[in-house]
Amino acid sequence: MSRLLKHLTLWRVLSAAIIIAGIYGAYVRFFVGWQASTHLSDAQPWGVWVGVGTLCGVALSAGGFAISAAVHLLGMERYRPVVKASVLISFLGYCTVCVGYLYELGLPWNMWRIFINWNRHSVLFEVAGCVILYTTVLTLEFCPNLIAKLPWVRLREGILHYEHKLAIALALIGTVLSSMHQSFLGGLFLIMQDKMYPLWYSQYIHTMFYMSALPAGLAVVIMVMYLSMRSLGAKIDYSILTDLAKVIVPMLYIYGIFRFIDLINHDGLKYMFQFRSETAYFWTEILLLVVLPIIGYSMPRVRNNPKALYWTSAVLAMGVITNRVNVSITSLEWFTHANYVPSWIEMVLMLACFVVAGIVFRLCVLYLDIFPRAQKRERWLSTPATA
Amino acid sequence: MEATKRKALLVDITQCVGCKACELKCKEVHGFPEEPATKLNDTTFTFVDERAGGKFVRRMCQHCNEPACASVCPVGAIEKLPEGPVVYNGKKCIGCRYCMIACPNEVPKYQWSKLAPYMRKCDMCADRVRNGQPTNCTEACPVGATIFGDRDAMLKEARKRLDSDPNYVQHIYGQDEFGGTSVLFISDVPFEKLGFLVPKAEKPLPALSAAALADVPTVTFVGGSLLAGLYWITQRRREVMIAEGKLKAESHEERS
Repeated sequence: MSRLLKHLTLWRVLSAAIIIAGIYGAYVRFFVGWQASTHLSDAQPWGVWVGVGTLCGVALSAGGFAISAAVHLLGMERYRPVVKASVLISFLGYCTVCVGYLYELGLPWNMWRIFINWNRHSVLFEVAGCVILYTTVLTLEFCPNLIAKLPWVRLREGILHYEHKLAIALALIGTVLSSMHQSFLGGLFLIMQDKMYPLWYSQYIHTMFYMSALPAGLAVVIMVMYLSMRSLGAKIDYSILTDLAKVIVPMLYIYGIFRFIDLINHDGLKYMFQFRSETAYFWTEILLLVVLPIIGYSMPRVRNNPKALYWTSAVLAMGVITNRVNVSITSLEWFTHANYVPSWIEMVLMLACFVVAGIVFRLCVLYLDIFPRAQKRERWLSTPATA
Repeated sequence: MEATKRKALLVDITQCVGCKACELKCKEVHGFPEEPATKLNDTTFTFVDERAGGKFVRRMCQHCNEPACASVCPVGAIEKLPEGPVVYNGKKCIGCRYCMIACPNEVPKYQWSKLAPYMRKCDMCADRVRNGQPTNCTEACPVGATIFGDRDAMLKEARKRLDSDPNYVQHIYGQDEFGGTSVLFISDVPFEKLGFLVPKAEKPLPALSAAALADVPTVTFVGGSLLAGLYWITQRRREVMIAEGKLKAESHEERS
């Protein structure tokens, strides 16, 4: 009994609670109905499942393509130790997004229609196509981790022999596909010129989605690597993470300046200081997404302190989440007056998917060779202290 | 299909008496519960909106010539018929609800109470219109506030009324809005005061996404080539360095 209790950490209890609540949420969503499970309405057809589940799920998973492009295509060998982990993060992120669509779509059993009924005028069709293809690419990029564990030596070596060549091709295809759908998730909102609040509508919104997804994806890599070092005994050169932070800073400057110039072009400056709730949401977003991360990442004292670096990255990730929520929900409020607040089932069902992704990440790290680890023998349900 | 075949409704707001005959007829035809409605929903495709000053405005799908809803639907479940109606094919629908959020007039509504929900909106009685018959709501109108005919003829009629009576606002709502629509309105009160959306640009909304989508092939090709080129350069530099003995062949170490 006491052995069992030792495994009951706060995080495990919390994860289990979220998953159980999520399963109940899925039951309500599929067997009781939309009105019982969500606060979506005719005025608010897209809620957090799209705003956070899809938009943020994809944006925060941008690390995979960014790191593999840097290593495989641009020869930045520096980041090779985190390629596998980044690809795994993205792979799980995209799986979460795909699973999310099972409950987000009203008629998920009709999903296969996307393969035969193509509407090439639809940005959403482009997004769906790219996400499907890129998830396939990620699966192929992830597969060698499993193949490496095959007991049949000749088969294993035979397949892995081609891995290197394939990795480069996959990195190239993945980069193109990612660039397309990362930006086109913003492109979804191009058509809503009349409905969106001027602080967020832009005819370059797709470009800005792309420019903010890159730093967000890298920030998530930093966060996950920090957590892996702490709780999974990852043996990674810490300076890789500080270097990533240094790379993010110019990206954020470019994003911030582009955003500012774009606001001037749209005559949006006059909305920046109006006494409205949108103004507060806007400044929260700018603070979390641009200002605080730039300050944090620019200070050597923060970069060289793992905990501070982690929290700076967390702020940046929150900033991107705020941005996606603002674009997809806040910006429409003045037009639709929907007064939308997500229901607890909406939140918990989405969170449960992220928690499962986290658990699968942990299992992958424990059983596959994602990165070198200090405690080799540690397995599922063994506490680091006993290893 | 030649433009003359395109039909349209003309709603003269000055003539509407607010009897709700159109609304009730529509509900009767579709077998919807006949409760008075104050907004569009999955069992209300049109209703009469009473505005301040005793004005009555019919709310319904405008049947845009280049509909945002049809352009955004990833599976092409929404279609603009050459006769005018914008119709929905539920068989193709996956339930993404992009049409709902893309429509500037918030027309598409959802069957939120169902476990297999479909989008619902006015289909301009497409089966009747195809046979040259007027819509049910037109037939129901006792005072002729809604009339039906070729779009060109409706525009001509609207123009005639505007010319003959200076009390009219000299504008036909729907002639150019959203790239032109198949439901036209004329009024003696400014449209924005009656809750009509004044679009930021008159060009059809799908053009906004089309501009970005048109860049896809170029960006893909140029970006892909650029990446391949960069890969070639880094590989070449690596080979040169190995040849010069600065780098061991197997090493994965960073080059300066």
